[in-house]
Amino acid sequence: MQISDHTFDDWVRQYQRLLFGIAYWWTGSRTDAEELTQEAFFQAYRSRSTLHEVEAVKGWLIGILRHCYAQMSRKSNSRAEVPLDGMENEPEEQDMLSADVLALHQSLAKLDDRHRLPLVMFYFQQLSYQEISEALELPIGTVMSRLSRARKMLHETLETPRNLIVMRKAKER
Amino acid sequence: MNCELYKSEIYAWRPGSDAVSFQPLFDHLAGCPECAQFFERLTTSDQRIQHTIQKIPEDRSLESRILAGLAHQRAQTKTHRPSWRSWILLPLAASVILVVTLGVRPRLEEARVGREVAALLSRPPALQIDSTNRQQILDWCASVFSGPSSLPPELNKVEFRGATAVKVADHKAVLLKMKNEQRASLLIVDAHLTQESGFKSMHEKSGSATLWSDGRRTYVLLYEGSAQEMHAYMVQMGIEA
Repeated sequence: MQISDHTFDDWVRQYQRLLFGIAYWWTGSRTDAEELTQEAFFQAYRSRSTLHEVEAVKGWLIGILRHCYAQMSRKSNSRAEVPLDGMENEPEEQDMLSADVLALHQSLAKLDDRHRLPLVMFYFQQLSYQEISEALELPIGTVMSRLSRARKMLHETLETPRNLIVMRKAKER
Repeated sequence: MNCELYKSEIYAWRPGSDAVSFQPLFDHLAGCPECAQFFERLTTSDQRIQHTIQKIPEDRSLESRILAGLAHQRAQTKTHRPSWRSWILLPLAASVILVVTLGVRPRLEEARVGREVAALLSRPPALQIDSTNRQQILDWCASVFSGPSSLPPELNKVEFRGATAVKVADHKAVLLKMKNEQRASLLIVDAHLTQESGFKSMHEKSGSATLWSDGRRTYVLLYEGSAQEMHAYMVQMGIEA
């Protein structure tokens, strides 16, 4: 399929915010999310001939983002603790983050990739099971099961960290 | 079904889900104030998460950096084009043949796996062993594989009523029929099948599949029905994906 540079640039304008948002909640880090979003578009451009239908561009881009995320995770196996700490070290972000946002970051960081990846896609973009299944290259039944368990884990873990963060923020003030 | 099982169903439900599959849940909610309250709490919490997750940092320069990076890529491609075109055609042709060979073979394999598994689901062969004794069934599987046979922890609670030896894409395999559910079966393939898309295409045509792998063998839960029906069955049987 022939995709013109002009069309591809339009996709960058249309979907960069979506990819950045997903990457931001996957990694918990603004810097990593920027790097992932850029790399995903660069890889997508190089492999644009693999896109079979223009209608499927969103899922295709998210699938490439997921591959980039897997590559990044393999390089630095430090997802569990670093991102949230890293964010707290960035003063320009610290003031922006509400207790709810911090609690969500902390709760998502406790989930493994199998559960965090579909969960972010589910909440951030309200993607359908089919779209998530295609982007993650998983059977739809697996996506449903993982999402169901991920939602349960998220709701359970959201309680405790929220209290801790609220207390810590109050103390900082 | 008790309240705990219905709570699992609540986590599986999302707006727009198939109303028929979730009708038993809503019937239960109508008569169980505790579960109804739980459902409402979860819905409220979901809305809060959806609201929170939209808050992402503003980065106005990201778009221009991506576009600049793409422009750089394009400029480099144009610069390099004349030199490689002139002398690299032969190695390039060899590379194309290699890539095509390597790329086509896994796809053919995937398609074959999908076809053969779909055939097993629609026309299951006769059982070679009838038994509800799990250990006896696993011992029988071990004799087929000529090696020890165990199940991944996610399938600890499943029960069987019989098994038969089959072949999937030239790999040794056993098909185990589930107890209490005619539409469900477990396929154990004596190979590490990493491509899940074969099962995905099978799922779209013939039924539903969920798979696990321990690196040596692949375990595929097959269900003659929709993904939602299979999910309800998995919840009921305590099977984790």
